[in-house]
Parts: sequence; structure tokens; C-alpha cells
Amino acid sequence: MNEMPRIGKGRKVGLPKGRQLDDASLDEVRVALAGASLARDRLIENLHLIQDMFGCIEARHIRALGEEMRLSQAEVYEVASFYDHFDVVREGDAKPAPLTIRVCDSVSCMMNGANDIIADLEESANPDLIRILRAPCMGRCATAPAARIGDREVDDASCDKLLEMADTGAFDVLVPDYVNLNAYREAGGYKLLARVRGGDVTPDDLMQMLSDAGLRGLGGAGFPAGKKWGFVRSYPGPRLMTINGDEGEPGTFKDRHYLERDPHRMFEGAIIAAHAVEATRIYLYMRDEYPAVLAILRAEIEALELAELIEPGFIELRRGAGAYICGEESAMIESIEGKRGLPRHRPPYIAQVGLFGRPTLNHNVETLWWIRDIVEKGPKWFADQGKPGHPGARSWSVSGRVKNPGVKLAPAGITVRELIEEYSGGMLDGHTFKAYLPGGASGGILPASMDDVALDFGDSLFKHGAFVGSHAVVIFSDHDNIKDVAINLIDFFAHESCGQCTPCRGGTEKLAKLLRVDGKLDEGAIRDLEQVMRDASICGLGQAAPNPVNHLLTHFREDL
Amino acid sequence: MTKQTIFTLNGKTVTAHGDETIWQVAKREGVDIPHLCYLDKPGYRSDGNCRACVVDIEGERSLAASCIRKPTEGMVVKSTSERAVKSQKMVFEMLAADMPAREEGPDDKSAFWAWAETFAITGSDRLPSKFDGAATEMHENDISNPAIAVNLDACISCGLCVRACREVQVNDVIGMGMRGSHSVPVFDIHDPMGHSTCVTCGECVQACPTGALYEKSLMDDAGKVRIVQDFDKSVKSVCPFCGVGCQTTVNVKDNKIVQVDGRDGPSNENRLCVKGRFGFDYAQSPERLTKPLIRRDDAPKAGDIDMRFMKVSDIFREATWEEAMARAASGLTAIRDAKGKGKGSNAIAGFGSAKGSNEEAYLFQKFIRQGIGTNNVDHCTRLCHASSVAALLEGMGSGAVSAPFMDAMKADCVIVIGARPTTNHPVAATYFKQAVKKKGMKLIIMDPRGQDMMRYAEHSLKFKPGTDVALLNAMLHTIIAEELYDEQYIQANASGFDALKQKSKRLCAGKNGGYLRHRQ
Repeated sequence: MNEMPRIGKGRKVGLPKGRQLDDASLDEVRVALAGASLARDRLIENLHLIQDMFGCIEARHIRALGEEMRLSQAEVYEVASFYDHFDVVREGDAKPAPLTIRVCDSVSCMMNGANDIIADLEESANPDLIRILRAPCMGRCATAPAARIGDREVDDASCDKLLEMADTGAFDVLVPDYVNLNAYREAGGYKLLARVRGGDVTPDDLMQMLSDAGLRGLGGAGFPAGKKWGFVRSYPGPRLMTINGDEGEPGTFKDRHYLERDPHRMFEGAIIAAHAVEATRIYLYMRDEYPAVLAILRAEIEALELAELIEPGFIELRRGAGAYICGEESAMIESIEGKRGLPRHRPPYIAQVGLFGRPTLNHNVETLWWIRDIVEKGPKWFADQGKPGHPGARSWSVSGRVKNPGVKLAPAGITVRELIEEYSGGMLDGHTFKAYLPGGASGGILPASMDDVALDFGDSLFKHGAFVGSHAVVIFSDHDNIKDVAINLIDFFAHESCGQCTPCRGGTEKLAKLLRVDGKLDEGAIRDLEQVMRDASICGLGQAAPNPVNHLLTHFREDL
Repeated sequence: MTKQTIFTLNGKTVTAHGDETIWQVAKREGVDIPHLCYLDKPGYRSDGNCRACVVDIEGERSLAASCIRKPTEGMVVKSTSERAVKSQKMVFEMLAADMPAREEGPDDKSAFWAWAETFAITGSDRLPSKFDGAATEMHENDISNPAIAVNLDACISCGLCVRACREVQVNDVIGMGMRGSHSVPVFDIHDPMGHSTCVTCGECVQACPTGALYEKSLMDDAGKVRIVQDFDKSVKSVCPFCGVGCQTTVNVKDNKIVQVDGRDGPSNENRLCVKGRFGFDYAQSPERLTKPLIRRDDAPKAGDIDMRFMKVSDIFREATWEEAMARAASGLTAIRDAKGKGKGSNAIAGFGSAKGSNEEAYLFQKFIRQGIGTNNVDHCTRLCHASSVAALLEGMGSGAVSAPFMDAMKADCVIVIGARPTTNHPVAATYFKQAVKKKGMKLIIMDPRGQDMMRYAEHSLKFKPGTDVALLNAMLHTIIAEELYDEQYIQANASGFDALKQKSKRLCAGKNGGYLRHRQ
């Protein structure tokens, strides 16, 4: 069974070419799918079902899944092999150990000893039972080092703690307390939705209020939300809506923060937005690194359906599978369509040609989260929370060498000095502020001397070759070597590049190697790579990936 | 009238017609923009991933791939700005850094090296290779396919092979596996090519810009380096196998066929199948008859002779054309001119071969009728085609097919019955599959046996062998009983419809239902 057909004279007569379908594998796949939809766009969902049941995806199961979904083996495999959370096991390969511990090795966790934990675990854990993997940011940077054991997310991880959890079986998903549908409605939730649906508040009113409030896309691009609705509405329907919950930018954890506390605020905003652009369906794409959030969303979408606030199936939850690039909106759309997460070329923009070729409104979780408050409390209430010239409040994910890291609701246009001193309890004892990331891994690294820059979208940071992105601020001190930081960040991009275009695919990998050269760096080669990545990459990942390297060479020469 | 878009390219005012891309306009204007992942051939979608063709567009922050970008009115485009050229050149340097040296790679004359040469790039002494420090499995050299060598150290992950396999030939064997700098074309589930479901159509070889996928017939025994450097001649030809009529270019070295490429003919648009592309070795087979042979006088003819274990030279001897022709002609004329029972013209019959062209068939019948003086002439197509010609003549008024197979691309629905195009006419099959994939055509397959095209079919019906007539009659019955036909069309174009209507009443579907097995 599953033996590869031989070639030449040894080829089995009477059999078609290639890997044969076997009935047992087909039956196993059918059990795993349990009647799930076989539509092309459900490929990633169905791969999850197989991975969840068998702990990996065997070649024979890929063959069988292809048969069920009427896809070729290559069409299934290329998707499965793109995403980190699928373990493809070919004939003769070992299956992964039954339990997986993922340790975050992104920058905030690295500063807090992630590498030591990984080394300790690799030494102490029984490899037959436990597999140790490095993983990109898990969105728990305020409680770094973070890890995940099975489906349990772990704060302040240590080798001993993780191994003890493995021993005691504490690796199922742990859902925190949150405001469920009943509680949310009791506190006045979904009244605004009723008013919007009743025509009391029109889409035009809403767009005006969002514009007056200065609400911008908080996933990182900062596009004015009201304007976006106008664009989407200008293209003929049927239209769709997507919610981007792929919060993968290292250092960012605000979306998780809100969804683990008050998910319906986002749902209400989303249903209102869908109503405003007449979207026929909402696809909610949530990263697979957040099992607790996924459990909450699953339960609350069902509650919304039962309460008849939405039609069954109106909000469809889609699980990511471990790919940072799927936070890029067009890559996310490809992923929702069940494909490899490759960003699309623009034009056309997704407002015109988006999911399944339809005009699509896409919003970040937090952008939607604010809609109810803005309408109920008034646009002015929201806009006034910002610094002069920088309307609005922002949720800053602060981590690194500060006393009280966490999500800080603070003005747009704030400076890093104010964030540290007034919101984060100041620097850790014995640490002197040295540098910071204004916007996660891609926003660049600025020196402490630039502590007075107004942090917001647009010019104030752009002129320094930086941006605020998803508002993930990571603070470094004199204990940190900025070259190590830059290498960590470029390694992340090399790992997460989709590989589609030459500048990003080759550039991230080569920068990572050029920065590791012993002795003097070849700055000419590094600058040339930086230029081609910035100028010629298809999407923002490749264009922004050299930012930290640029700043390392510009501002931190003493660390070279 | 097609849309006209006026824009500026390198300072010159130019016009794009319809949906032309910047690259296409540049080509028309004689401006060479480098390109790797874009293949300027029918059926290939531009993908814009290699970034070798990036151009500078005024007012835009980043450069744009000219192969995929369509100009807008008044756009100012520069393909030769310092910034554009810098990126184009860097793309080649980065790719060259990951490749074996030109003369050590699979094809030193590839499109990649031809373009790299224009930037004077022969490699990179400053950029590290992606293979540095990587696991050895990244240097895949796969020679498991009998005709194609795979050298992935020369691969630039441009995805042309994926498009060739999935969008042009629609065999769906190649995918782009993994991610980032590990991205790599794979066969099925990263299987060796020769063990995979690959049908060796060779479209990927024809598309590959680096030779990472290359014909073994041009390479050394290890399948690593091209050794046939040039051809003595390239002959335009037509594939000698099935009736699709694919046009080919046959490349010859030292009077031997070393390679066959698809040419842009009306029925194949550069596509070929395994037979047309790689099935040329018979031309050089030592068993092939290359000189006239005449039966030896000491080897008399016998009707039941079994020649399997005999040497040809025991029975025949080589002869000149003149001698052989004279011998054949004298034998034939002796029979023709003899008198008596079983003699004379009518004692001779001619049977033409389907391997001949139409012109040859004409000449052959003329020879038999005029030269021999008999109408005893026929052609082997009588065996397979005569019945369908008669039926078509009676039913449609013409003994020929009413539409070329490429019209599948214009059809809403196609029914395939009594045919297995992926095996018998693979290039024709590509158009059926493409029509489903690209145009959403509805494909219905009826075949007692399963066939690979069923994966693309909206409905597949595996009926019991021998019930095809009953099945078609049942369909006829239902179409008429439920009035699913176009009354206006029938009135304008059909005769005898009332008779058919009467007859169809007896062709009841229920009678057949019992032994039809319906799938999906």
C-alpha cells in the first residue's frame, strides 16, 4: 500500500501513473472531513481537519483529499507546504511527536531569553513525545517569553513550566473570561445595529461620522475608514466583506487583547459595516496562533445566529495556518480562497476586485471595534483623544524593556518618551533607553535620540524611513545590541516571505546572510539589496523588510 | 473599436490598444525590456513575479512590472531610468548568485543567461547563494523522467513551469511548493518527476527560462550540462502521430533529430504531447528501413512464414531505388497486362495508408486508377471513419466535423462520449480542460471506464458497456418529451423532426435506467 510506482521496466502494468489512491486513506479522510464542504475555497479548512485528527498530513491523505475535493495532488500539496501549521509527511518520513511546543523567537521574546528556553527544552524534552519548534510572534509580547504547548498559550514561559504542563496534560485550549453575547446585550450592545438596520442611522451618516472621528485602518496601512466604505460602495455588487484577524506583525497584540475581552464590539462594528456596504457575507480570517480567540469567535458566531442577529452562515470564520504574509490583505484573500497566501498585484485594488473577484471591504479587527463607540459617543469624543493634528485614540502594543508592558490606549501622535514614562511605568531598573521599534518588525528601528517624533501615520515617521504600522512599540535598552535585533527581524522576514517575487525572496535571505558575515559588512551589497527590495518588491513585506537594516547602518554603527 | 490609451514610454508618445500591457507596447515599439517569468507566447498569463521587467512610473512610489501593468491615459513610463535599470540588474545578480556558473549549468544558452549577458552579469562575487549552508536536498538533480532532467539549482522560482502545467496543458502535476527562499516547483507531492503523474508533455521544458527543466537529448549522461550546443538545421514540420495536426520545429544535429519544439500552429499554439515532443527516436532506429530491399532469389515467398526469429538479410538483399522500382513495376505490369481469369487490372487492388497526407492519398488513387486501370482502391480510414462520415452526411449534411476542437473555448457545454482525448489526442484535450478551468465551460463525460478528464467534469457517467446507443436514445427521448430543444432553430435548420419526434416516443428512458450507473 502507498508504495511508489516504479519506473522503467519495473513499472506496474495496469496502474495509472503516480501515487495510487487507497480506500483506507480515503475512508480516513472522509471521517476527518465529517461532511465538511468540498468547495475549492475550503481547502485550508479541510487540511486543518486532517492535521487536527492525525497530527500531520500524510502524502496518502493528500492524495485522498485531492480525490474528494477534485484537486490534483500538487494543488493540495503546494497549499499545505506553504503554511507552517501543516506538517506534511511523505512516505518514509517520520511523523512529528504527539505534542508540539512552540516557543516564540520574535524580538520581544528573544530579549527575554527565548533562545535559552529553546536550548533547554531541546536538551530536556523527550523527542519521541515532544517536538520543540521555533515560532514567530504569538502576540503575547507583554508577557514574554511566550510559548504554546498543544493548544494552550503560555505566558512567561520557562523550560520547567512547559515540561510540567506537558506532564500534567495542560495543553488544551484555555479560554479566558470575556463579555459574551448576553452580557454585551445587557450593557446596551446591538442597539446601534438595530438603529442602523432600521434606517435611523444611514450609511452616509456612518461614513461621515467615521471621517469626522479620523478613524483609520488600524491594521497598519492607516487608510481612512469612511473613505474606504465609499470606494467599496462605488463598485457594483454583490459585495463581500473580510475581517483581517491575522495579527502577525511582531510586537502586536492589541487585536487579541480586545477579542479576548469584548469580541462583540468588533462583531457589532462588522455587521454595521457589512450593512453599510451591502456585503452579502463576512469572512473573518483569524490567525491560527490564537486558539483561545478562535474558540471565542466560534462560540459567539453561533450565539449570534441563535439570537437571530445574523443569518446562519453570514459570518464565516476562517482559520489561518501560520503565515505572516496573510496579514497582507490580498494575500489574506488568496488564503480565504484556499490558496497559497501570495499578495496580488495592484491595481486592481480589492475594493474593486477582491474576494472571489467581488468588490470587498476589508477591515482590521480594531478598526471595527471602535465603530460603536464612535457613533454612540460621537466622532468628536474619538477625535479629541489624539494629540493636536493627530485625531483619535490608538491602542499601542508596548513591550520590551519597560516596567509595565501591555496594550496602552493613548493618543495618536504621542511620542515614545511619553509612552514609556506616562503609560508604561518607565524603563526597567538598570536599563537605559537606547532604541525602539515604532511599528513592529517592519516599521524600522529608531534611536533614543528620536524620542520626540510624533507617532502616527504619515510624514512625521516617513521622513525618517519609518512607520507606525500596527502601533507595536518595542523598547530596547543599553543591554540590547541593535545588530542582533536587526538580524532577528530580517530572519523573521526571510522566514515569512511568500517567495513570490525575486527581490523579497532573495533579498531577505541574502540580507540575513550578509549581516552574519564575520568582520566588516559589505555595505555596498546591503544597500543595493535594500534598494531593489524597496523599489521592486510586489508588496509591503519586501518593501519594508530592509527598514531595520537601513536604520542599523544609519543610526547604530557602534553595534556593527 | 478597441480602447486606445496614449501614454509616454521613455520620452516617446505611444498608444496601447485594448488590454495591452506596458511590456507589449514596448515590444511593438522596439523597446527591449528584460523578462523571465513572462513568456510572450499564446496561453501564458503574465504573473509579474520575477521583477526583471520593472519600470519607473511617474508619481508611483515603487516600480511596476511592465509585463502585467496596463498603462493609463497620460502615464509617464521609463524602462531605462537609472532606478529601473538598477533593480532589473539587481534581479539578475540575485538570481545568478543562486545558480551554478553559466557553463556548469543545464543550459548556457537559456533566456536567463542571454538577458544576464546584456547586464554583463556572469554571477555574483558579493551576494551569498541561497544554497550556502542549506540542507543538501535543495540542490535537486532529478533524472527519473526518461526524457527530462530537473536541475533545481538553476531554478529561479518564476512559476512558468507551473503555469505551463496547470494553465496551458492543464495536467495539474506541477505546483509551487514551500515558501520564501525555499519555494520550489514540485511534481505531485514533491515526488521525483518520473514517479509522479507527469505525462511528459514537455510544456514546462519549453517554458523554462533557465534550463532547470531541460531535454535530456541535449545534455550529458548525468543530465546536468547541455552538450549539444547548436543545431545544424531547424526544420518546420508537422507531428507525424495523431490527427490533431500539431506543428513542430525539428532540430537536427549531425543529421540526427536532437530536439522537437512546438510551433504556433492553428491547432496546437506551441503545445505538444509526449509523442510529438519526445517520440522522435524511431527516426534513428537501427531497425528502420532506410534502403530498398529485394527478396533474395534463394528465399522463396510463403504465406505462413514467421519472420520473428530471422535475420532480414537472410530473406532480403539491399538494392538501389532504380532496381527496386523496376522490380516492383515489372511485377505489377505483368499482372496488369496478363490475360485470363484472375489476371489483368482487376487482379490488383490498392489500399492507402492514413500515414500519408491528403496529397499522397490523391496521388495513390490516381496511380491505381490511371496507372493500373482499376477502381479497386480504398483507404484505411474506411475502417474507422466511413460509418461516421455516412451518419454525419445523413444527419448534418456534411461528412466532416462541424467544429474544430478549439471551439471548446467558445462553448458553454461539451459532452465527450466515445473518446478519451487525454490519451488519444492529448493536445486537443488541453483545450477541453482549459475551457473548464478558464471559461467555466460545463464538461460532461460519458465513458464506461473512468478517465482522468472526469476530474474536470461537472457530470461523469460511467454507463454499462454497450448501452451507449440506448443512453443517447434515452436522452433524445427526454429532450423531445420535455421540449428542451430550441423550436426556432429546429424550424429553421432541421428536416424530418416530426418523424424523429414520433420515433422518440418509443425510446423510453425508464427502460435504460435500470442499467445505467450514475456517478455524482
